[in-house]
Amino acid sequence: MLSETVLKEIEEIKAKYPSARSALLPALYVAQREFGWQSEKAMQAVAQALNLPEAEVRGTATFYSMYKHKPMGRHLIQLCTNVSCMILGAERLVDFLKNRYGLTQNGTTADGRFSLVIMECIGGCDMAPAMLLNTDFYGDLTEEKIGEILGGYK
Amino acid sequence: MANMVKLKIDGKEINAQEGMTLIDAAELGGIHIPNLCYIKGMKGIGACRLCMVDIEGSKTPMIACTTKVKEGMNVNTQSERVRENRKFVIDLILSMHPLDCMTCTKAGVCNLQNYAYDFEIKDSTFTRKKFGFAIDEGNPFVKRDPDYCVLCARCVRVCKEQGTNVLEFLGRGVGSKVATANDKPLEESGCTFCGSCIDACPVNAILEGERWRRGREWDYTKIKSVCLNCGNGCDIDVSTKDGEVVKINAGAEKGSAERYICAIGRYGFDSVISDARITYPLKRVGNALKEVSWDEALKIAAEKLKSAGKDTGFISTANILNQDAFIFGKLASEAVKTKNVDATVSLYADEDSMKYSDSADMDEADVFVVAGLNPSQWERVTPALDAVIRKRIQRGAKLITINADDTRLASAANVSIKGDEAAALGQIAKALIAKGAKAPKEMEGALQAVNASEDAEKAAAMLTEAKSPVIFTAPSLFNASKNISLLINTKVVAVPFEANARGVVAMGLITEGKTYKEMVNGGVKALYTVGEIPLSARPKGVDFLIVQNSHMTELARQADLVLPSAMPLESEGTIINYLGKVKQAAKTVEPFGESRQHKDIFTAISKEMGSPIKESKVKAAEAKAKPKFSPFEKKQGLDINPLEFTESINRSVIYSSRLLWLKEREKAAV
Repeated sequence: MLSETVLKEIEEIKAKYPSARSALLPALYVAQREFGWQSEKAMQAVAQALNLPEAEVRGTATFYSMYKHKPMGRHLIQLCTNVSCMILGAERLVDFLKNRYGLTQNGTTADGRFSLVIMECIGGCDMAPAMLLNTDFYGDLTEEKIGEILGGYK
Repeated sequence: MANMVKLKIDGKEINAQEGMTLIDAAELGGIHIPNLCYIKGMKGIGACRLCMVDIEGSKTPMIACTTKVKEGMNVNTQSERVRENRKFVIDLILSMHPLDCMTCTKAGVCNLQNYAYDFEIKDSTFTRKKFGFAIDEGNPFVKRDPDYCVLCARCVRVCKEQGTNVLEFLGRGVGSKVATANDKPLEESGCTFCGSCIDACPVNAILEGERWRRGREWDYTKIKSVCLNCGNGCDIDVSTKDGEVVKINAGAEKGSAERYICAIGRYGFDSVISDARITYPLKRVGNALKEVSWDEALKIAAEKLKSAGKDTGFISTANILNQDAFIFGKLASEAVKTKNVDATVSLYADEDSMKYSDSADMDEADVFVVAGLNPSQWERVTPALDAVIRKRIQRGAKLITINADDTRLASAANVSIKGDEAAALGQIAKALIAKGAKAPKEMEGALQAVNASEDAEKAAAMLTEAKSPVIFTAPSLFNASKNISLLINTKVVAVPFEANARGVVAMGLITEGKTYKEMVNGGVKALYTVGEIPLSARPKGVDFLIVQNSHMTELARQADLVLPSAMPLESEGTIINYLGKVKQAAKTVEPFGESRQHKDIFTAISKEMGSPIKESKVKAAEAKAKPKFSPFEKKQGLDINPLEFTESINRSVIYSSRLLWLKEREKAAV
């Protein structure tokens, strides 16, 4: 279950809204951070912390595709291969990730360090090809640069 | 009265209340607007897109379940455009719905089937999809087959509104389905098996368990009646086929929050036809009970009652009908001439609380106070009270709970006061007086030293603003609660644990001689018990015991004479339920075997005794007493365990129906 500190964090989120139900989405993110993904336990913990029905928590969590619905690596790479990024070489980056890290679409490295999700536009066309690594944005990517960046995430 | 609005729907002039939706307004004019997701009484959600209508002046079609009426509106529910739209929606839904109407149990009452018929769609023009979801049928009550589901959300919404929160959507888009929290079977998901989802489902996705090949809607005779299994006395719709009850649905008017029944009300009918039914009169011969004719049984009863005379005791449960109770009282007072006639009501309620309780309208009430009661859908103790209040909260009402113990309902309350109930009521009264309510002098005096807590202040504020508040109280707190009605305009209702407690008291089954407790503790020579009395051992000192019941019970086995009585579903008459409503109980099937309705047995005995009771129209005594102040105290001696009591008066129903499955499961879980 969730630690005291995490529960306190959820309490603080709750305080920002008129009803506990409104805090559900951010609370799910907190639980996801703690459990790694939206596991049964994670959703139960949120239901308990917000005093909401488990069915409702699960219904909400499964509705949103941006939550992690299966176990994933510690760091999530969201690489764009839409038009701008594709023209500027995103496909080469996909190959690079596959050859160097063994990463494929929706896959996770053997050491559990990275997961890859291929995105359709993350709004970084001016800096294409671009990716999100967890919540950090990186643009103007090359194979060399992406290797360097990933080196910084252990 | 709300303002009225004039509008035209399909050329028909309609007067509708301001704030009404088009779908309800159309119904006023007898016009049905097709829909799959609308539930009368709840907010429209515009999910199914079937109820689109054209409104003059609007470019695009509008959703009738969310659009409110406006003065001068001109609505067309059948324009070419909206018909095309609807046809398209049905076409889409049919692409993922099985086309096995020929064997489908819901055929005839399936909304989708009806609409497909209306639009002449034999098969979808889209590619057929089948998901092959698992069927949830591990319990005998509710069968869920998500492959039939049209994702209308009705079941999810009724489950949520009543606070059970078992069903919810899983995932999104075409592949989503209705599931429990972890996609587990219902019996592992905190389901109460009330079956509200069955009543809500427009198709064959959620259905009663054990319905397969037990007939379809057009085979059934439908009869409106009332459930007598607990203190709520809910309306039911009974379906019978070939003289047997096949299913029961919630019977309150569509749109009313009272449209709810629990598992006992819905599935207890199995017990009508059961091995445990007593089919003919029995008399004791040595250690055994032997079958006798009615003639002989009545003769024995008459003789024994006559010889015991004044020393006879008459006790009954309060789930007998008014007509039965009335004749029962006459049998005691006129034929046998004894004052010892009492009902199980006296175990949990005093006469005043039943006589002077107000009538209340659940759909009108905007603030509820629940004092000293713990209604629970999960324990099935006056479950409808719990469910209906929760529904009313979702529809905008407020709730104040007052209880010495924790209750589940308290978590749904706007103000919950935990502590001595009578004292809390006193504090609320004090706070009301501080807000300017005029109090009788004695009350002001009694409350002089009282300080209102913060919660009591909040409750008082809520009550002051309320238009039609209702206080539901334990009978023991009735007088204390009634004091509040001296300060503000509020209904006060004492909630009993049996369906016709108010009726039975109105019919005079309140003793002027020995009480129920005294009689079962050996106060009488002959004892005549009626109904499922919560008693398993023959009282000491009783020379002759007559047990009149529908099922063989522990007590019946020890009787000298056993008289088989009809069950409520086999009887005709009226009850007065906890809300003070007179409700009609209908004879849905003929009495089983040789069993007879209670009153017919009483009348026959009186004839045999030579002082026949004339059946007259029953009339409840007018009970209007001027309310006066009584101390803020709890009446002693009325404490029973509501759960044990409710189970005990329903023992035969539970043990000779599929409800036993539930009982065993709950037992195993403890």
